Amino acid sequence: MNDTGRLCQALALRLHCGAESERLRGNLARLANGARLWVEEIPDGADSRLAEVRREREMSRPADPRTGPGARAVLLRYADGTEELVVVAHRAVAEPYDLARALLGEAAGLSVRPAEQTAEREAELRAALAELDRGPAPEWGLGETGAATVGHRSFAVPAHAEVPTEALLRAALGLVLARCTGQSEVVVGRDAEHSVEFSAAPSQTVAEYLEVAGGAGPGSGRAPVVGLTVAPTAEMISGDGVKAEPFESRPFLAPVHPMSLYLAGDGSTVLSGSCVHRHAAFGDAAVEWFTGMLTTAHRALVTAAPDTPVGELSLFDDERRQELAELGGLGQDLAVPRERIEEAVRRRAERTPDAAAVTCEGETLTYRQLDRRADRYAAGLRGHGVAPGDRVGVCLERSLDLVVVLLAVLKAGAAYVPMDPAYPGERLAFTAEDAGLQLVVTRSESFPRLEGVLLVGPAALDGPGRARRGPGQPRDSGTPPRVSPDGAAYVIYTSGSTGRPKGVVVPHRNVAALLAATEGDFALGGEDVWTLFHSSAFDFSVWEIWGCLMTGGKLVVVPYWASRDPAEFAALLERERVTVLSQTPSAFAQLAQADRESRITGSVRLVVFGGEPLDTRPLRFWLDRHPERDCRLVNMYGITETTVHVTAQTVDRRAALSGSRSVGRPLPGWHVYVLDPEGRPLPPGVPGEICVGGAGVAGQYLNRPELTAQRFVPDPHAPGLMYRSGDRGRLLPDGRLEHLGRLDNQVKLRGFRVELDEIRARLLDAPSVTAAAVVLRQGQEADTAGARLDAYVVLRPEVADQARTGATEEVRQHAARFLPAHMVPSTVTALPALPLTPNGKVDAERLPLPLEGRSDGAEEEPAGAGDDVASRLRAVWEEVFGFRVGLDDDFFALGGNSLLGVRLLAALKAAGMPGFPLPQLYLHRTVRQLAPLLAQEGVSA
Amino acid sequence: MNGALTAPLPDGVTAAGALAGKAALITGAARGIGRACALTYAGAGADLLLTDIGHDLDGVPYPLGSAGQLAHTARLCRELSPASVVATAEADVRDLDAVRAVVDGALDRFGRLDILLNNAGIAAPSGKTVHNISPDEWDLMLDVDVSGAWRMIRAVGAALTGQRAGSIINVASTAGLVGYRHFAGYVTAKHALIGLTKSAALDFAPFGVRVNALCPGSVRDDDAAEGRMLSEIARSLDVPVAEHQETFLAAQPMNRLIEPEDVAGAAVWLGSDASRQVTGSTVTVDGGFTSR
Repeated sequence: MNDTGRLCQALALRLHCGAESERLRGNLARLANGARLWVEEIPDGADSRLAEVRREREMSRPADPRTGPGARAVLLRYADGTEELVVVAHRAVAEPYDLARALLGEAAGLSVRPAEQTAEREAELRAALAELDRGPAPEWGLGETGAATVGHRSFAVPAHAEVPTEALLRAALGLVLARCTGQSEVVVGRDAEHSVEFSAAPSQTVAEYLEVAGGAGPGSGRAPVVGLTVAPTAEMISGDGVKAEPFESRPFLAPVHPMSLYLAGDGSTVLSGSCVHRHAAFGDAAVEWFTGMLTTAHRALVTAAPDTPVGELSLFDDERRQELAELGGLGQDLAVPRERIEEAVRRRAERTPDAAAVTCEGETLTYRQLDRRADRYAAGLRGHGVAPGDRVGVCLERSLDLVVVLLAVLKAGAAYVPMDPAYPGERLAFTAEDAGLQLVVTRSESFPRLEGVLLVGPAALDGPGRARRGPGQPRDSGTPPRVSPDGAAYVIYTSGSTGRPKGVVVPHRNVAALLAATEGDFALGGEDVWTLFHSSAFDFSVWEIWGCLMTGGKLVVVPYWASRDPAEFAALLERERVTVLSQTPSAFAQLAQADRESRITGSVRLVVFGGEPLDTRPLRFWLDRHPERDCRLVNMYGITETTVHVTAQTVDRRAALSGSRSVGRPLPGWHVYVLDPEGRPLPPGVPGEICVGGAGVAGQYLNRPELTAQRFVPDPHAPGLMYRSGDRGRLLPDGRLEHLGRLDNQVKLRGFRVELDEIRARLLDAPSVTAAAVVLRQGQEADTAGARLDAYVVLRPEVADQARTGATEEVRQHAARFLPAHMVPSTVTALPALPLTPNGKVDAERLPLPLEGRSDGAEEEPAGAGDDVASRLRAVWEEVFGFRVGLDDDFFALGGNSLLGVRLLAALKAAGMPGFPLPQLYLHRTVRQLAPLLAQEGVSA
Repeated sequence: MNGALTAPLPDGVTAAGALAGKAALITGAARGIGRACALTYAGAGADLLLTDIGHDLDGVPYPLGSAGQLAHTARLCRELSPASVVATAEADVRDLDAVRAVVDGALDRFGRLDILLNNAGIAAPSGKTVHNISPDEWDLMLDVDVSGAWRMIRAVGAALTGQRAGSIINVASTAGLVGYRHFAGYVTAKHALIGLTKSAALDFAPFGVRVNALCPGSVRDDDAAEGRMLSEIARSLDVPVAEHQETFLAAQPMNRLIEPEDVAGAAVWLGSDASRQVTGSTVTVDGGFTSR
């Protein structure tokens, strides 16, 4: 980096009485180690555009003491007789003002620093710059890494009669920095070597804060990203018959800090400032917002009552605030039909009655058949006492029946509450009770029997049911009741931060809006074939089922085993000519792997990613084989509480190559705000909480008024509510959103939203546990399938002495009784105490890696004499898990899952060992159990 | 870091252009291609330090750029572009100290240097078969045409790499790409200059400094630019200028002699950020002559 310009200052003076160039030249040469005076004749007047250009050029030229005198004077002689002197000097050599005075003969005593001291000082200053440059570019500055250019922006602030310019501007800067960094302690640079640090805490009054900022002490060593220099008013110079009036000064010729602000306190009522910024650290758009906030904060400090808390000062004027809201997508019109889901499906059934609607393992229903069967089931539901506005539990595997039942529930005017049959009984029971279910449609034998909850199989709905009529209730008349699109369509339970899942109530109109917002852009229609890949308890299935059936497509129900076997799933995509595929990135990674092994020659034209953050980089391999013109990839950020999706970003090759984290712009009808913890707006680039308003906002958690009031709050710019997602994100200047993870420690694991606190709460429920922590550990190199949850517990002293493995396994099993499989920690490690940060929080960084493998003494364990298959199998397990494995370690207890199972099969194949049908793994869960199975198969070639 | 603290300029005739605000040093600027480049650079908004030798050399059979011609070039530049600072200095590129002083002067005046246009060179003594060239003639040719460019590069190297930006343009010739009868010294020197270009490009690439060679074909002797290269070559070969021009014209696929402005246009491009990924390359402006 060329630092010379950062260490030079410039001063322009207007000479009122003629200065003789020969005398000036002589003075200068005497003063500054051979510095020269240059005389330039400018063929235009001093007020001309040419004069401005020439003056600017001279004010911008650095003077390097390493290659020359480190100072320069240029006498500009204009055609109108005006004369100006521009003096540039390196900080190691002299102050331009002092040099100008000496040059003009006012203070003969002044001399510049001797050469040897100059060299020393120059080195010191350069070292100070190097120190400044060590800080990384602030992420919120939206700089362009590696850019060598400098941007410039002017701003203006009114002068204040009582508060000194520098104190006031510094105070305004402090407020803006605090908002942008999220920290109330701010540091502001003064020059290469000095900075001040002070608190911009929101509770201070304006009067207190101005005092704090004005009297700020030296910084503690944090490298400031923003510098502020306020030049003092320069006095007229007179001497030797010369009068010279300084009229412009520059404290640096290139930004000293990543962003450097300067302003001349020249006594005017409006002070014009300059902001120069390195593009490597601050983009032009970020600086535009920054200086806008700065002038607004400045005005607010001037106009607010002195006892106003500074936290209440607005950093955005109304116009900017509106601009920010529109940047987040506010105001995009969306025409949504006033229609319920089942009405939209009925409309399709009327239009294309014989088109295939749903197919599952060879059995197909046309739209007419689907509609009629769902009508019958709806009648069956009513026969079981279901009335409009009720909630009906549905706990079915993916099947034709599942789709029919869901549609039937809607036709009955009720809302469905989907539950995954694989969830533990206690969670199912909790859901049934919390949702106040009286009827659950399920085939599961193990669904908990609960007082007042009737369990029926789908078949029982096909025909008159056993009525549970109360006295006076009419028997089902067969006429569908009139119901509104504002009614609830479904209630989906999501992981809750209090340790309790919560039901999100989503109205029909939200789903209609979701389709209205995407149908055109995605060109969804009757030619499309969709997959139903996801559990109905995961709201991605809402998109899959209703997205398909409301647009007239054909829905292919993916059986459980096909959804867990990428090669089988790839074959299904080809067989069924699937066009619209929805996937979590983790699942898609497996599919892409299968595609690499055997290219999917298919018809998939649209892949919608959802459910967890997408790492776009690996997608370039897919794009190599399936170019964008054939298959569009769309990354969608979404939340159950805002109806599946919020934003959409088409991932093209450029995005994949750059590893873009953008999730795109909000769908029409949806809008986002990025707010700080106090709910105040944040400018583009600054991360905060993503809040979502518009057509998708669900509006409530079932029976949780307090939580509802906390998370669903009035939208500041539009009628209705906005949802505070708890997700961390930031807007980009072009209106796209970047999703940066969770504000709290809710994480996504293999597509599931997992609240670590919920798991922790379960662990703490175990009688032996006194403290607990849970962390998500990623597999090697962003291997999402290899991600696992590691739990740490502190056991009660009397338990801690017992065999460690036994005690921790008990804790794990306790957690497994309530938590769904994906939330059960893979490992539980007992610690004498949890490591804490100085603030008293659990220090996740210092939690040790869990014991490798579950069985103690795995090392010594003999595999059995001559049992070659077992030892080879164990080696493959260890390769797949990445740690040592015992012969009796349970595959699933080790953190194995179906994805890793598939990987195990691939590794066996690669090792030249025989494979086995994946379901066998559930029956033979240890190396010792599995080895004989493989031995039977014989070693394949 | 690049970039002085410069406010964005509003529209206007002043200082707009591909080289606005850049500082360039041009050797051999008194006349010919050097003058044409200086004028084009000024028109593109650059500040200029123009140098030439200012006197004749023993052993070179034609008059070299004079102090008066150099001053005239500077005057023309100032008239064309009042926004540009145009300074001059006399220097012999064979003199290491003189070269150092010129570069220091440019840095002193401009505070930085963005472009070095190594244009100074001689075409004669030539006109002899290779074994008839005297040791002095050989040494002189290489001293000016190759070592002169190297001395300039040597002198600007620290400043340019320190700035992490800069463009060096070595004016070679089609004689750097193909051979010409009776011009062994010149051809050797220009080939060497291209080699110097490539090596310097590699040395400076990590510092963001670019080095390229510009290879003009036969440039018309232009009255305004006071160019006389073609005449001198004809004289070296002892043929009438008109006949010599005819020979070259016949060999140029575009069927036109190169104008000094054609070369200057390429020099502006190589000096500007428009060519920011071009380094170590040889840009040929020869009407297709070397493509045959």
